Amino acid sequence: MTTVALGPKDFKSELKPIWCPGCGDFGVLQALYRALSGIGRAPHEIAFVSGIGCSSRIPGYTTAYGFNTVHGRALPIAQGIKLARPELLVLVAGGDGDGFSIGGGHVAHAVRRNFDLTYLVMDNQIYGLTKGQLSPTSPHGLETATSPYGSLEDPVNPLAYVLSYGAGFVAQGTPADMPGLAKIVEEAIRYPGFAFVNIQSPCVTYGQEVQQMKVHKATMKTLASVGHDQTDRIAAMRLAQDYGKALYTGVFYRNPEPPPTFEALVRERQTAQGERPAREKILDRYLQRAT
Amino acid sequence: MRAWIEIGKETGAEEQMAEDLIIGMAGSGGDGIVSAGEALVSAAASEGFHAMMTKSFGSQIRGGESSCRVRLSIRRLHNPGGVLDVAVALNWEDFLRFGAELPVGGDTVVIYEEATGVAPHEIPLPGVLPREVFAVPIDALAKEAMGTDKAKTSVVLGLLAGWFDIAPAGILRGMAKRWGKKGPEVLSGNEKAFALGQRYAAEHPLAVARKLSRPPDERVGKQLLLDGNDMCAAAAIFAGCEVFGGYPITPSTEVMQFLTREIWKYGGAVLQAEDEIASIGVAVGASYAGKKAMTATSGPGMSLKTEILGLASLAELPLVLLNVQRGGPSTGSPTKPEQSDLFQAAFSAHGDVLRPILAPTTVADTFRVTVEAFNLAEHYQTPVIILSDQEIAQRKETVEPIEFSRFDVLSRREPAGAELEHYRRFLLTESGISPISHPGMVGGNYLAAGIEHNEHGDPTVSGKMHALMNEKRFRKLAPLERRHDLFEIVGPADAPLGLVSWGSNAGVCREAMELARARGLQVKLLVPTLIYPVAREVYEGFFASVEAGLVVEQSHQGQLYRILRMYVDVPRGVTSLARSGANPFQPAEVAAKLAELALGLQVRHGRQAQE
Amino acid sequence: MMTANTSGLDVSALTLRDALDLAVLIEEEARDRYLEFAEQMEMHRTPEAARFFRFMSENEEKHRVELAERREKHFGDAPVNVTRAMLFDVEAPEYDEARAFMTVREALESALRSEEKAASFFASALAGLRDPDVRGLFGELHAEEIEHQRLVRAQLAKAPAEPLVHPSEIADEPHAID
Repeated sequence: MTTVALGPKDFKSELKPIWCPGCGDFGVLQALYRALSGIGRAPHEIAFVSGIGCSSRIPGYTTAYGFNTVHGRALPIAQGIKLARPELLVLVAGGDGDGFSIGGGHVAHAVRRNFDLTYLVMDNQIYGLTKGQLSPTSPHGLETATSPYGSLEDPVNPLAYVLSYGAGFVAQGTPADMPGLAKIVEEAIRYPGFAFVNIQSPCVTYGQEVQQMKVHKATMKTLASVGHDQTDRIAAMRLAQDYGKALYTGVFYRNPEPPPTFEALVRERQTAQGERPAREKILDRYLQRAT
Repeated sequence: MRAWIEIGKETGAEEQMAEDLIIGMAGSGGDGIVSAGEALVSAAASEGFHAMMTKSFGSQIRGGESSCRVRLSIRRLHNPGGVLDVAVALNWEDFLRFGAELPVGGDTVVIYEEATGVAPHEIPLPGVLPREVFAVPIDALAKEAMGTDKAKTSVVLGLLAGWFDIAPAGILRGMAKRWGKKGPEVLSGNEKAFALGQRYAAEHPLAVARKLSRPPDERVGKQLLLDGNDMCAAAAIFAGCEVFGGYPITPSTEVMQFLTREIWKYGGAVLQAEDEIASIGVAVGASYAGKKAMTATSGPGMSLKTEILGLASLAELPLVLLNVQRGGPSTGSPTKPEQSDLFQAAFSAHGDVLRPILAPTTVADTFRVTVEAFNLAEHYQTPVIILSDQEIAQRKETVEPIEFSRFDVLSRREPAGAELEHYRRFLLTESGISPISHPGMVGGNYLAAGIEHNEHGDPTVSGKMHALMNEKRFRKLAPLERRHDLFEIVGPADAPLGLVSWGSNAGVCREAMELARARGLQVKLLVPTLIYPVAREVYEGFFASVEAGLVVEQSHQGQLYRILRMYVDVPRGVTSLARSGANPFQPAEVAAKLAELALGLQVRHGRQAQE
Repeated sequence: MMTANTSGLDVSALTLRDALDLAVLIEEEARDRYLEFAEQMEMHRTPEAARFFRFMSENEEKHRVELAERREKHFGDAPVNVTRAMLFDVEAPEYDEARAFMTVREALESALRSEEKAASFFASALAGLRDPDVRGLFGELHAEEIEHQRLVRAQLAKAPAEPLVHPSEIADEPHAID
């Protein structure tokens, strides 16, 4: 692992974002550049995995190794990468549809395995890349292309979900406070285990008025300012209930005693096997001896 | 194939030496009849016999009817065979449930539990008059030996050892291993039951004694005995597989179970994922990270994996996917073999995709095919599908020790030196193969994606680039069609009758060919290891050299036959012999069809002569 | 004193060196943001606004260079204590000011809001400042922002009137991609 002095620009690729001007993801990208320069791992030591959607284009805009996979499957693929090369810094990103609808089944398992991954969800409560359909975090009653008379469903609460799955690090941020978001992302990356950051990243084209950055700026409230103790999981759960009503930023929960990561346990198991046998010995147990 | 050598005529004694013996046994799960089969096959293997064993169960998880078929021979075996030489029924109800799997014929010696109360002339096998029928007090002998009927299978082993001279020393060694742990009383009880069985056989000799010939000494203690799933997993380790993503599914789960026991020793890891999709995701992620990776499944799981399989094709990532075929569609017949996932393997993709498909034909062959699959995957940077089937995957057979030095193990071509200065991941080369980097490699940074890319890996909507990249992805696999070493042709070159068969059914056809040749028919057989892409030249040459032929496979549609017709001008004389159903073809079925073909040829030639 | 746009920085206690460094970074942030906007506009076929944002970016760069030269003249290569992480959106237009198909007038209005924002940053900082040199610098910077506002307003006066139908109303609907 090499640690070098890198600026945010060292993480910016030549590729130009396809996002709509005004999109929240631009600020998220800047926050990420900044967080990565704070971490100081060289781009070639970073694998950045995403699913499908506007926000999932983000790996391409960095100089890291990127893998823009298929819809909803970024987490399993990222786990495969981490399993193969635990020394890499592995980041995962996607939207609310990617993470909590089509790929929703993977989140609980990524959490419980506790690979050292940082999962950034750009939550905009809408499907942007397919032009404004209902998303798993769309509020009840929202009128969209697929709910012209209003949604009949309650939204998923990403914060409460991931907290109850048992994640060791759960935070929320918004590009309306880009420096704050950068700090949160950096802290998430530094957490030794599965870390989740829900980023309220407004869709300027299909998003609701109340979800835009101007509103964020006016309403966001840091968890520190409400006196939240980030080692208190129950208090975190209580505050997470306000998802969709209040915009808290900061760390909801950080396990003060992070348990060993999956990859650490794998390494332990491999080491416990002792000396590596010759591969040619692999069939020896099937020999039918006559003694 | 059975071969009775009638030495009785020369010696005057009523005795035949058997070179090949097929034994079928059935009982209720509680009887442990399958364990008895395991003991038998293992003992025979240790004594140098070629041996093969298949199992079949009812639908209950435990305690339902169960059966096994054991075939022993002094010659190489190609399949579990057809009509039984010896049938063992612990009760008739359970035995009859396996009617198709345990066929009794006129040459069969039938041994059954006397306590069933069925008289020998009333056994429920309509239309068959078996050669000999023994109602043996198996239950009573077990109780005599150990005070319990739990030693019934040891009595059965004693009967078989006594009547057919099957590896008594090996059986006793196996018993010591199995029962020794349970205490001296259990072991001696079972030994006694075995001895009582032997004694019963000695006291009730067969009308025509059938002793199994001895195999050559050089095979004694030298053979391996395992099933196709274990072999595949072992080959994966040998080929350098470091990450396996899996999800339990019958009949492929044993691959994951083997690897999760062994892979850690080699610095690798297994992840049992939350679902089939995640399990291939894990493997694709590991491959992207530069390690050899694999996943295994069966039909339903394969359906779920296809989206990520497409990703691996587009991102040009090496990956080995094992599909142990079972009866489908949907849940179908999870414990029965079928060859009906070929269309799925070849075509279940959106977009223009070519994925190499390899099929092993035996347990031993599974080693070669698995190593080849890793080599192709790594060399061509593509997913490779191994289409095994339940028959090979779960049948145990003897295998000669693998000569590991005969196998090359290839790895992907990584960029180096100047290639990393302005690295282009999808460089359009003449071969279509571009050096592949992985995270952690300085200068190799690129974006892998499911979206179409340019040479650098950057997303593109250019139709021209898409067409170029499609062409590249197909171009790199073109040399595969010239891999003649992935095809085997056996039989006389000038034989006018031809068989084509793949997977486990290839073994059936090998034996069918021998049966047919014994009847004077001129037959040859083409066995492809490379199923797809279709090697046109190989098939065209083969078809041009025969006058009539059969493509033999276990699927309702005749999927290989139909795929061949997509790519090759299959002559009219070559037709499909295909059916579904729980059981593989039997050699005699195919041989009978060959005889028909030969007759047809004569009629045709006769007609031509008249004209 | 903290302001809404800075963090970890006591503006009222700034030394001249820190104040100059802060000023340089404020210009740098604005330069980068305008450049991002210009690229976004180019990417989304909004060329007039793109040209204007590029022009703004170049202006901010000019100011940055001037300030950086002053800093070097007075303090040479003395270490920098102020970082980009300590400020956000001081003179840079906010991310959601950008819109595909925005008119030149809208782009100008966005720039004007940024200049006003910057002016009010310096004004509110001035209120708490004690160091006379820093007061002098901030006073100067404040005056410059007021001057910039005047220039932008002048351009706005010359800018074509808003069309009857906004370009975004004429543009095709966004299209689905992935």
